[in-house]
Amino acid sequence: MKPLLGNWTLALVCGAAALAGLASALSVARASAGEAANAASSTATPMLRRLTEAQYRRTIADIFGTDIKIVGRFEPDLRSNGLLAVGTTAVSVTAGGFEQYEQMARNIAAQVTDGVHRDKLIGCAPGPSDPKGEKCAAQALARIGLRLYRRPVTAPELRWLTTSTLSSAAQLQSFDAGLAATLESMLSSPDFLFRIDERGPGGVVDGYSKATRLSYLLWNTTPDDELLKAAGAGVLDTPQGLAREADRLIASPRFAEGVRAFFTDFLMLDDIDTLSKDVLIFPTFTASVAADAREQTLRTIAYLLVDRNGDYRDLFTSRQIAMNRTLGPLYDIPVEKDGWYIHEFPEGDPRTGLLTQASLLALHAHPGRTSPTLRGKAMREVFLCQQIPTPPANVNFAVVQDVNNPTLRTTRARLQAHLDDEECASCHKLTDPIGLGLEQFDGAGQFRTREHDELIDVSGAFDKKPFANALQLGQLFHDDPRATDCLVQRALSYATGRELDSADMPEIAQLTRIFGDDGHRFKALMRAIALAPSFYALSAEPRSASRIVMQKGKGKRS
Amino acid sequence: MGAIRTALKSRGGPVPAMMMAGGAVLLGAADAPTGGDPSIRAFVISNFFIATSGDAGTCPILADGGIETYFKMLPAAERAKYARADDPHEIEQGKRGPLEAAMNEHFGFRRVAIKGVGGGGRMSEAVLPPDLAPGAVPTPEQALEIGRLNGFPPGRGRLAFSNLTVAYSSCTNPEDFPTLAKGFRTYEGPVAAGIDLDGKSGRHDFKGLDGGKSVDNQLWRAVGCVKAFRESSEPKIAKRLFISARAPTLIEVRGIDDPRNDPDVTVNVYAAADPVVRDGKGDALARASFHLDPDRTLRATTRGRIVDGVLTTDPIDLRINYKEQIIDAPREFRGARIRAELKPDGSVEGSVYGYYTLASYWSSIEQMTQNGANLTGVSCPGVKQAIDRLADGYYDKRTRRYTAISSAYNFVGVRAFIVGDREVAAR
Repeated sequence: MKPLLGNWTLALVCGAAALAGLASALSVARASAGEAANAASSTATPMLRRLTEAQYRRTIADIFGTDIKIVGRFEPDLRSNGLLAVGTTAVSVTAGGFEQYEQMARNIAAQVTDGVHRDKLIGCAPGPSDPKGEKCAAQALARIGLRLYRRPVTAPELRWLTTSTLSSAAQLQSFDAGLAATLESMLSSPDFLFRIDERGPGGVVDGYSKATRLSYLLWNTTPDDELLKAAGAGVLDTPQGLAREADRLIASPRFAEGVRAFFTDFLMLDDIDTLSKDVLIFPTFTASVAADAREQTLRTIAYLLVDRNGDYRDLFTSRQIAMNRTLGPLYDIPVEKDGWYIHEFPEGDPRTGLLTQASLLALHAHPGRTSPTLRGKAMREVFLCQQIPTPPANVNFAVVQDVNNPTLRTTRARLQAHLDDEECASCHKLTDPIGLGLEQFDGAGQFRTREHDELIDVSGAFDKKPFANALQLGQLFHDDPRATDCLVQRALSYATGRELDSADMPEIAQLTRIFGDDGHRFKALMRAIALAPSFYALSAEPRSASRIVMQKGKGKRS
Repeated sequence: MGAIRTALKSRGGPVPAMMMAGGAVLLGAADAPTGGDPSIRAFVISNFFIATSGDAGTCPILADGGIETYFKMLPAAERAKYARADDPHEIEQGKRGPLEAAMNEHFGFRRVAIKGVGGGGRMSEAVLPPDLAPGAVPTPEQALEIGRLNGFPPGRGRLAFSNLTVAYSSCTNPEDFPTLAKGFRTYEGPVAAGIDLDGKSGRHDFKGLDGGKSVDNQLWRAVGCVKAFRESSEPKIAKRLFISARAPTLIEVRGIDDPRNDPDVTVNVYAAADPVVRDGKGDALARASFHLDPDRTLRATTRGRIVDGVLTTDPIDLRINYKEQIIDAPREFRGARIRAELKPDGSVEGSVYGYYTLASYWSSIEQMTQNGANLTGVSCPGVKQAIDRLADGYYDKRTRRYTAISSAYNFVGVRAFIVGDREVAAR
């Protein structure tokens, strides 16, 4: 290990104990920096949230430029309570993962200080008035540190970073090499890899932490200079100032990235990275098709909710969908344009709404066949925030899996046979009827009307409301208030990085009202969350033992 | 939409492309429904291959390629240098290179590089005529001049190997090497694929694979015993092979009211500007979209009918792309008829029966180069003599020779979409 990395890194590489060690190390570091004044007045735990891969990449691109290459393997994220965002508070960095972060940091630091980038990104060099480059190092590290740490580098930190730079430069006989070594340590430090809350007055986070929360919520990246400046000036501590900055971020084209990040998490689209299909059964579904299917869903959402500022519920019924030539064969349509465009299916087309998009259809299916159960489970858990129990370990799936059964030719028939088991039926009656509504889309999301030459019946009932096909099923989701309630809860949980509890109910009710009053515009919901006091609360821990689980009908405590 | 199609059909002739938007008059390409316009079925052809005579049409002795003929011409002692240890009548695979070098030397095959390198003959950098601009493709006359400047026999020298070389060999000038046709064999069996193209019963006609009579397929008679052609056309192999994949052919059937039975449809044959893409299994990707090649000579339109899912067309003159790494020899068929089974899974299998023009067929053989002919066991002089002798279509009164030869080709393809403005050059 390099000596430059210091005590914080030592805490990190302790593997399983990393999180606890990290918190302890941070506490020591802050105290030594004379910044623990507020700590004594509060018992709340500062929240640590590890940057996701997307956040890391966008943050580096924003600070150093999009041409800085990031090569390496990221630590896997943890989905908790339906969201990776909640999991980011529960993950640390393993020893193996830290090696990867360190390797990436080394590569990034080398690029930042290379001949192509250094003049633009460092902006100074040792000279006659600064022969060792001390001033230059301090100036560059303070500027870069502000962006990397999302707060000003403290005076003791800056002294230490500058001294380290000069020491390394002397050893390596190169100022730039010394600077690269320091940058590497900064990029490997928890201050960069984790979003760390600083206490502010009144049980909420301080201005810089507010800026960080705001920026990662709305842009999924590090705060820009303007937001950091506002944080430093205390602007974010006033309702008017906070609203002004939130509005600025929402009005920016970068807001679409924040929306994409939320829906990637909400719809579990990250799972597409590891999705594969049986190529003999679904030769059209290649890795590039899978990646584009995810992109399609995100582009469609960004188009409808951001560009068009549309109603969230319309995602379930919209005939508009982002399309490209890679996806044309899967969707069985001619595609003339080379890039992405918005395709509008004719009225009555079976491809209508989010439920009929290839990403979700393929994700919630088996490698070689559909799964009405998985699809129905996903529809309830993702869109309605309901929980479907996992099946017992001793279930016999033989009937369902026998796709070549000569008498049970359709999935519906095979599932019906499976449901003859009463123990199974209690859960399957929740999932299968709505999952069967999507049976005209095979395991790769391709439209079909027959299975083994038999016409596929896609009629059913969704909580006693009948539907004839996927189109009508989408309309039922559109009209179901549980879908918008669920979105509000997930969005708040995503924003705060924690599981919601009963204490959040008033906040949820308030957000739900604002969301509804504003025509279920997603922008309005995000704005309301960005301005909500609970968004800036310190604690990462649930404040009550009773968490919220949506039941049939409305949200209930359990 | 049905009314529009009926109106268009009633005109009788080919449907104008602008109006042929047909469904597209109402449904723009950007608003296509799932499955596309139901009145249109289009296919991209992944392989187009000569139809074999099947198990019933075997060759007692297969035709020798040029290199095999040369091998057999050698004195026994010389031949032994290149023969297999266990069979002195067969060439040892590892010794084909030295044998080819000896053959080139013996016959005086030559090739000179204009740019890059190419196959077949002794290789050297070309002395180029002063009027040939750097990088330009020589005209046939300039190719002759290059031959003269580089010591080729008088009046000899042709462009070869994708215009990268000027060559002299049994493929550029088969008439100079009749001895290499000695081992060539034509097909003399009674059965061949095809149909009665001329409406007459002649003594050279075959019995069809399905028992039909008066089948005209003299191309199979000419080359049906060439091993390479027989092998690559075996149905199991042919379905997996791609031909002209970077410039495939599209077949489009428009005005379909019932995909199983429709007495009047329009059939368009186009060249695509986009390559065939492979799916995860390595087969042609179905339902991909293709723009048209702007070359209008590669487009043709006729009328057809669908009976029990089988499409047949009226006669049509076709020019179909045949582009491979070193071959660019569009196939020209005259009086061709298409018969194709439109399969329920969206794929197509069919045949083109017609008179393959000698010029375009020979171009495809000639462009193989001597090296290609040796690799595939083809005798260029043997093929040339056979097709000239057996040609049976489109008699030219001026030369008193037939200009085309009856043939049967099969094709396989998958569902495709045709996109873009047909009136404007594609990208």
